[in-house]
Amino acid sequence: MSEPVVIAQNLGKAIGRDTILRDVTVAAARGSVVGIIGKNGAGKTTLMDVLLGFSPATSGSSQLFGHDSFTLPGQIRGRIGFAPQQDELVNMLTGRQHVELTAALLGRWNRALASRLQGAWGLPMDRPVQKLSGGERQKLSTLLALGHDPELLVLDEPVAALDPISRRQFLQELLDIAANPQRTVLFSTHIVSDLERVADQIWIIRGGTIVWAGPLDHLKESVARLHITARQPLPATLPTTLRATLSAAVPRLEVLSMRVAGSRATAVVAHWDEAALAPLREALEADIEVESLGLEDIFIEFHS
Amino acid sequence: MESPPTVRLFTLHPTSGVPIYRQLVDQVRRLVASGQLAPGTELPSVREVASEYTVNPTTISKAYSLLEGEGLLQRNRGKPMTIASSRQKSGSLPQRLRQIEPQVEALVLAARQLDLDSAELCHFIGKKMGDAS
Repeated sequence: MSEPVVIAQNLGKAIGRDTILRDVTVAAARGSVVGIIGKNGAGKTTLMDVLLGFSPATSGSSQLFGHDSFTLPGQIRGRIGFAPQQDELVNMLTGRQHVELTAALLGRWNRALASRLQGAWGLPMDRPVQKLSGGERQKLSTLLALGHDPELLVLDEPVAALDPISRRQFLQELLDIAANPQRTVLFSTHIVSDLERVADQIWIIRGGTIVWAGPLDHLKESVARLHITARQPLPATLPTTLRATLSAAVPRLEVLSMRVAGSRATAVVAHWDEAALAPLREALEADIEVESLGLEDIFIEFHS
Repeated sequence: MESPPTVRLFTLHPTSGVPIYRQLVDQVRRLVASGQLAPGTELPSVREVASEYTVNPTTISKAYSLLEGEGLLQRNRGKPMTIASSRQKSGSLPQRLRQIEPQVEALVLAARQLDLDSAELCHFIGKKMGDAS
């Protein structure tokens, strides 16, 4: 794995008495596309703010390109592109004026990329931002984050206001941009199916804590729903017995949820290993069917 | 940017619980085992597949590397990957049956739940395969 571009260690953030982030330890390697998912209020935006140094951490540390996030030197800031959830566009200025201002401020601008995106996204550049639709504002905001060819691109809900066609176009662009192995992308979204297409790493955040950080492929292979059908009715104490049997068969196994009715039970487990199937069938004297889960189901199971 | 229109070779479901690289590996194995992908057949590039299906190229590249490691695919300098020429046109019967084992296991389980016996199931499969040809 190449050097991490983003590192957070035991990161915490409290505002007044409220703890927003707790003990967050994550890393994003150069060239990766990290998708961040969490319920509303789980801490996604705060995590991005703290990682980018917009807001200081109350405990732990975070670094971008090896520098402390909160005291980033100017030249490091210039290597980062960020599009916030609520755009920070100036209503009376046009798209073109925003581009000129941003290019002047940053001192470099990839005109070819910017004009290609303008064209592909059908962005009206000569209208005041006030007159743009929500989706057009979002596209402009993303274009401004991309135009200086940043090595690290951070997008907070970049597709929320886009229609399905624009969204697919945007994902395609994002993949093209991410095809550069020097570039790292961090983005959050509620549209889980987009993450399944574009992200290679997933961070699941729940109540300010990271409950999963790792490759998407590994996540899908490691979480499974087991459908257990025993030869005879299962006792009421089964959940405890089953948990013990499952954990003994696969040491790292974690039971996320379990339901028992008569001679049937359903268990959703993390850190599943196919090798455990045969011994488990024997131990439980039951038929076991293993169902793999899509990211949306996995996300919901992490919240059950 | 635009690639020429192509007929899709694979069926990829990004939202499935089976990782995309796994889906691709399984399909190439099956297509090679059945002889539908003959030795020397060129495969679309990682970039082409990623763009056609709007999926992360890393997962496609992982699939191709795995298949190359198995000796099923051959990497050619500056040219598309091809189905390895050292392979027989199609695998032996046990090899081909092994490819389809996961699907058969799922089918058997469903048949048991529906209380179908093997004769009834075999008859049905025979009919389906006859229909398809």
